[in-house]
Amino acid sequence: MNRDGKKVLSVLVFTIVLFFLLASSSTWAQDARASVSGTVTDPTGKAVTGAKVTVKNVASGETSEAQTDAVGHYSIANLAAGNYEVTAVGEGIGTNSTKVTLSAGEQTVNLPLAAGSAPYPEAPNAPSSSQAAPASKTEPSLEDLGFSKAQQQGNPQQQALLDKRTHMLKIHQRMGLITTIPMIASVVTSLNSGGRSEGTASRDLHVALGALTGDLYGITAYYAIRAPKVPGTETRGGIKLHKALAWVHGTGMVLTPILGAMAFSQKNNGEKVHGIAQAHGPVAIVTAGAFGAALLSVSVKF
Amino acid sequence: MTRKLLPLLLLVSSTNLFASDRLWALKRSTLTYHVSHPLHQTDGVSHAARGKGVCHDGQCDFLIAVPVKSFDSGDSNRDLHMIQVTRGAEFPMVTVRTRLPESDANSSTIKADLDIEFSGQTAHYQQVPLEVSSQGNEKHITGTIPATLKDFKIEPPSLLTMPVKNEVPIKVDMVWAPQ
Repeated sequence: MNRDGKKVLSVLVFTIVLFFLLASSSTWAQDARASVSGTVTDPTGKAVTGAKVTVKNVASGETSEAQTDAVGHYSIANLAAGNYEVTAVGEGIGTNSTKVTLSAGEQTVNLPLAAGSAPYPEAPNAPSSSQAAPASKTEPSLEDLGFSKAQQQGNPQQQALLDKRTHMLKIHQRMGLITTIPMIASVVTSLNSGGRSEGTASRDLHVALGALTGDLYGITAYYAIRAPKVPGTETRGGIKLHKALAWVHGTGMVLTPILGAMAFSQKNNGEKVHGIAQAHGPVAIVTAGAFGAALLSVSVKF
Repeated sequence: MTRKLLPLLLLVSSTNLFASDRLWALKRSTLTYHVSHPLHQTDGVSHAARGKGVCHDGQCDFLIAVPVKSFDSGDSNRDLHMIQVTRGAEFPMVTVRTRLPESDANSSTIKADLDIEFSGQTAHYQQVPLEVSSQGNEKHITGTIPATLKDFKIEPPSLLTMPVKNEVPIKVDMVWAPQ
């Protein structure tokens, strides 16, 4: 490959990397927004049309408003995650105010109106309930079952951590799949690159594909390593093999280019590839094999 | 004297019978969700459900609750992803409520209307068929709840860019005993 060709390939590689970095950051920005929706009902349980619902960010004081529709439903989107006060006012009926902590994604907050202005007790993570029949006096409760408050209480901070973890691992998964393309191509082009081959075009292409594989592999590894861990989780199942194989292909992805550089230098000097540089091919094959096995370990059930 | 007292004694004893509620407790259970993906099928199992039933005036109110985190699919990464996508950290419990006539305890098949709270949503399932068999004074109940991800506004997880199926049937296998 001539100098111009190498320049084009470098620009192409840089563009691909930049694209994915931007795409991942913008996707994360979208995912970080919260929305809240629910139903406003009167003291008899009937839906309230035209009730005014206000959502106020406790930290910034910013407010957003909505009005309930014909079935008492409201929805407010594009909110920053944080602590809010949600207030519903039904003219001539009553009010309801509750505090919630919104994290990325959608959350349901139903607001039964109470006559007067008595504030609703703080229940940031209470699940919505829309039972058609009123609860009977004999109906058991979660406390009757012996579940502690800690087991019943939600944890928005942990949810946000899980959301971030999933987002990063999704990027890791996609980047891993994309990395297989230049990896396979570099293995294919290796057939005409070493050994008795005297031409430089195939070798240059093989080097370029190897460099691209290395860049994409690095991004893939970054998102896996930096994804938040959940304390107290024991690693079980296919993911255990996936993590173990990372040690094999991770080491290989370091050794392969080093050995490849040595082999490249020897070939450029007109020498036959010799010494430790001969291990470049076998190490690369083992690395690719371990990478493929890692991909399969989380894709199919063995 | 005894003849005069006898109706009174009968009245008192029958009143006591009607006055006390009959209680049922969930002794053991296996709840299994099934997720279908083009590459493989997954089952997640929980034995951590607790339940109680209170029978009053011929009607029984049941509550069954199970922590979302208690479901085990055999893969810790998959389980964590399940908790994330179902918002199990924010809404840690799945609860099922139903009301059944007390006479259903003697039937071999019952149809239950279920109210299920999960992932911050409530879904209603009408006439879910359940098989009932007796084991001494215990009742063994089995059935499948035809749950879907859409019912609870859960975004279908995906693997290798392919999403799982919307249908996530939940098999229930419970043994109830009177308290």
